[in-house]
Amino acid sequence: MISLSQVTKRFPGGHEALSGVSLSVEQGELVFLTGHSGAGKSTLLKLIAAIERPTSGVVSVNGQNVGRLSRMAVPYLRRNIGLVFQDHKLLFDRNVIENVVLPLDIAGIDRRESLKRARAVIDKVGLLSREKANPVSLSGGEQQRVCIARALVSRPALLLADEPTGNLDAGYAADIMSMFRDFHQVGTTLLIATHDERAISALGGRTLHLNHGKIVEAAA
Amino acid sequence: MISWLRHQKHALTAALNRLLTQPVSTFLTALAMGVAISLPSGLYLGLVNLSQVAGELPAQPEISVFLDTRISDAHKQAIGARLKQSDIAAAHFVPKDEALAALSASQDLADIAAGLTQNPLPDAWVVRPHGTSRAELARVADELGKLPGVAETHLDSLWAERLQAMLAIGRAGVWLLAGLFAIALVAISGNAIRAQVLARRDEILVSRLIGATDRYIRRPFLYLGALQGLFGGLAAVGVLAVAGAYLRVPVAHLADLYGSSFHLIAPTGIEIASVLGLTAGFGWIGAWISVTRALQQVEATH
Repeated sequence: MISLSQVTKRFPGGHEALSGVSLSVEQGELVFLTGHSGAGKSTLLKLIAAIERPTSGVVSVNGQNVGRLSRMAVPYLRRNIGLVFQDHKLLFDRNVIENVVLPLDIAGIDRRESLKRARAVIDKVGLLSREKANPVSLSGGEQQRVCIARALVSRPALLLADEPTGNLDAGYAADIMSMFRDFHQVGTTLLIATHDERAISALGGRTLHLNHGKIVEAAA
Repeated sequence: MISWLRHQKHALTAALNRLLTQPVSTFLTALAMGVAISLPSGLYLGLVNLSQVAGELPAQPEISVFLDTRISDAHKQAIGARLKQSDIAAAHFVPKDEALAALSASQDLADIAAGLTQNPLPDAWVVRPHGTSRAELARVADELGKLPGVAETHLDSLWAERLQAMLAIGRAGVWLLAGLFAIALVAISGNAIRAQVLARRDEILVSRLIGATDRYIRRPFLYLGALQGLFGGLAAVGVLAVAGAYLRVPVAHLADLYGSSFHLIAPTGIEIASVLGLTAGFGWIGAWISVTRALQQVEATH
């Protein structure tokens, strides 16, 4: 589903975040990306979602060369990818359900149908009683769950999560991780950047270790 | 197609909501646009009214040919024959009795006419030549003036022509002003939209990340610009309505002094609709320029 071959990303100023990375992720796989901060985990996820473009090498998703995608085509790629951010990136000018429904609005889906789907996915992350609340009034863990609901509402085949439990205490983090296991079990491909070792050992799955922009594959 | 319509509806309601949640700034922007647009449209209306005054006057240039009071019948016939030639479109004989009767009928001059012991007016021809160019009119008037038995010729149209020329300058001025204020409108709209785009930076960035196209992001702002322009046009119509109500009484008074039944003409429905359409259109253009530039900046700083 995802394959990187000899991918290098150098930022203006000369810092090389990734050097010659090659990897592949199969459909339905659960893969953890680990490594110290600054090792290139976020950059790797951004390359897959075409938020950044590789300096050299090929990033392909479902056979599409993402690095070469035209500006016009990028939105359609992103509609098939669910993104979970460490800082949630929720909009505080609208309530929970309006946040979650946003990807469906963007895709032009009938409002009633999209509200129904949004409510179903909010229920799945356990926040149905808070659907009218403003995200500001939610705890960090709840905000992260709203972010996950938004990433899943359009039923993407691929979910990319960047430090989804980075700011959460252990209880919340375990909650979120067990949610990811459920999605994995229904066939979603997951690529999770984290340094939460406990979660990795609890969920199983393959681990890719990044060190200074290079892959050091570790056993599951 | 259905999803396209859904997007339009969504963007329109979003734009309306944004305008209505900021009533004061919406109102002020509309007022600024309205005052700007009311200047060229007011001038246009003034010209329409002036043209109406001018329209009551003979549009066709005419030459009055006054005959000598002691003219011989032979000369009279010769003049009649000359006026049947091909360069004359129409000629109408006004005997002096008829002229005096017309003078008496005219309300302001009746007193003068009543005081006359004998008719001082000459017989006259009112002549309309075929050609309407200045040179042709002058040639015909000159030729008729040289006929024996003609006391004087008078080109009636000259001042009307001058008025027409002035109105033409006025109309050119309207277009010039309209062009300038259209630019002002684009600038006002662009500025208002720019502030909106920057205020919604987070929403734009997040929408981008979850698959929004440029068109999706741009659309509500374009509606916003068009609606803002439309409100500006409505404000202009309001400004003109107030100005018209304010001017009605003094204008009626002036017209009364001239013995005219002239009254101010209100703009037609089509004229109002075109002003609203144009302001909405220029608001849209301003929004497009501004949102396109602002999106590039948002992208660059990301």
